[in-house]
Amino acid sequence: MSSAHEPRTVAQAIEDAASSTKTGYRFVDEQSGAEPFFTHGGIERASARFGGALQALGLKKGDRVALILPDNADFVFAFLGAVRAGIIPVPIYPPTGLGKLAGYLENTLHIVERSGAKVLVTSSEIKLMLGTIAAKAPALQKVIAVEPVRTAKEELKPAKVELDDVCFLQFTSGSTSRPKGVTLTHRNMAANVRAIMQLGLGVRDSVDSGVSWLPLYHDMGLIGFVIAPIYHKNTVTFLPPLLFLKRPARWLDAILRHRGTISFGPNFAYALCVKRIKEPEMQGLDLSSWRVAGCGAEPIRAENLRAFATKFESVGFSEKAFVCCYGMAESTLAISFSRLGTGVNVDVVEGEKLWSERRAEPIAVESEAESERAAPIVQCGSAFPEHDIQVFAPDDDESKTPLGEREVGEIRLRGPSVMQGYWNETELSTRAFAGGWLKTGDLGYLASGAVHICGRSKEVIIVNGRNYYPQDLEWEAGGVQGVRKGNVIAFGTMKPQGDRERVVLVFETQVNGDEALHALKGEVRKAVQQGIGLTIDDVVGVKVGVLPKTSSGKLQRAKARELYETGELYIRSSARDVDRLDTVKELAKSQLGYFRTAIFGSKGEE
Amino acid sequence: MEFTREKVRAELLALFRNHAQAGAEVTEASHLVGDLGIDSLGVMEVIADIEDAFKMSIPDDALRDVDTVGSVMRSIETRLQKAGRLQG
Repeated sequence: MSSAHEPRTVAQAIEDAASSTKTGYRFVDEQSGAEPFFTHGGIERASARFGGALQALGLKKGDRVALILPDNADFVFAFLGAVRAGIIPVPIYPPTGLGKLAGYLENTLHIVERSGAKVLVTSSEIKLMLGTIAAKAPALQKVIAVEPVRTAKEELKPAKVELDDVCFLQFTSGSTSRPKGVTLTHRNMAANVRAIMQLGLGVRDSVDSGVSWLPLYHDMGLIGFVIAPIYHKNTVTFLPPLLFLKRPARWLDAILRHRGTISFGPNFAYALCVKRIKEPEMQGLDLSSWRVAGCGAEPIRAENLRAFATKFESVGFSEKAFVCCYGMAESTLAISFSRLGTGVNVDVVEGEKLWSERRAEPIAVESEAESERAAPIVQCGSAFPEHDIQVFAPDDDESKTPLGEREVGEIRLRGPSVMQGYWNETELSTRAFAGGWLKTGDLGYLASGAVHICGRSKEVIIVNGRNYYPQDLEWEAGGVQGVRKGNVIAFGTMKPQGDRERVVLVFETQVNGDEALHALKGEVRKAVQQGIGLTIDDVVGVKVGVLPKTSSGKLQRAKARELYETGELYIRSSARDVDRLDTVKELAKSQLGYFRTAIFGSKGEE
Repeated sequence: MEFTREKVRAELLALFRNHAQAGAEVTEASHLVGDLGIDSLGVMEVIADIEDAFKMSIPDDALRDVDTVGSVMRSIETRLQKAGRLQG
């Protein structure tokens, strides 16, 4: 057992797994219907050829290579090949279409520039779309199409890869709305993989089998299903992410056909299965092999998971398979998991006390009146060994005084999974920590050592697992004629029912008259949706001076959200704007809406 | 299964009406996200419906330059034509 605790680099893990002839990676190809399988030995050889090809392009240890590879197999081999050569891969998401190319190119250029990537590897089709990106990023020497590299016969020249070398850069959007490169070392990987696989999930080497449709440019798919399974020689079946979004039943079908035991998804994925999978698609389905159904990457709503369990119970799914996860890229991937085999555990607390006293007081729900006051909070388990989680007041800049049991504050973390900082961002890296603790930006509390997340202190809006920044939405809306530029506020709010946040945008305007205002709202909706690709649930036009501001004239997003949720925003504005009052009233009554108002409203702006 | 251009048009408009946000008028010029309020997740649902309606498979990369109802229509016509399933 002692050798199992010895940290290994990802490069070492690839070589160690190569002797396994029965386990490996399977890549589902939607168009051909083929499912090519690579044993761990095959993965070792394919990644060596890719690593050799990258070396042949002149890349050396420590250089960065940007990867925009929509094909799962291409991505896996290029990524692992780079890592084995000591070259630092920088995964970037592929363009999504829907006419958002300008924004995509800007984002991609930012990541390429900030990472200092010398080479970008992509598909020949995306290479055409990227156009003149190389001319705009001085450090970028080459943009390479992946197709010829697939058949390259280059040999990997041995590179000494050590635990404290950087393994890869995970670019993640931050509150500044510009992606930052979380810098993760092999030591981070080894620590977090041990936490996830051995301590969290009790993974059986070579026995457990993963199924994943998660995008590989995101930490949950990349670390959870590409890197971690190599350390434990587990077979993984990969589906294209878009295939899952198109036909969610294919996810469950893959679990059935390959007897998957471990699969993860964000909250919305489970909701999507409930909504979209029809009775006929459940014929012959058997999910009894699925022992770990992980849920993370966005706020977890217990009722979504329960609905999934109820729907799929008849085909062998057990609610006890759910593992509620809390994590973030800055902590490699995982921070805490709920205990294996216990399912979804909810802590029911009094909403009012969370607000007035910032305390999570448990209440027993017996009567209707009590359920009105109750706020259900999903429990996400305790810190992994060698890691510490504590809660601090958000303004405790030195992390001097941990808050007590059930006191609500900012969750902070330290331990071997925590990043060193953001690549090439000294100031942001410093600001990410307080007295040696990583500031997660999430609000929550500890009860019997277990993490409970109540909300985010950051203002990011998460829809279907993607992060959106209010500033971006506000900027797009501000460009519409008739909207008072700089007097726009966007925020997310939980609806009483449903599986995601509602996105609300409020703007000030001098435009009068029902028809003109209606048209202007349409313009704003269109501008934001077209620019950002996000559907706004509610666009609200208000009179000049209605939006809340600080004494220095700064817009107060949290305050605006509170006014919206309580319906007060409409009282402040004129009657003609009240076109969605019913939903707002409903929201104000809802526990979650109330709870969020409490947390965010009392905190104020930054 | 063969289609005429009129049939493709009628099928698609009906299909998008099903998925569009309330009150949205569906024309060839309608932008999927901007006008119809169909987000990236909704688009995938639409694609599944299109595949079923036209008995065809649409690869992911075919979606990257699609933004309006008209551009989806042209993409489908091209695919049908290549497969010899478009009349006229």
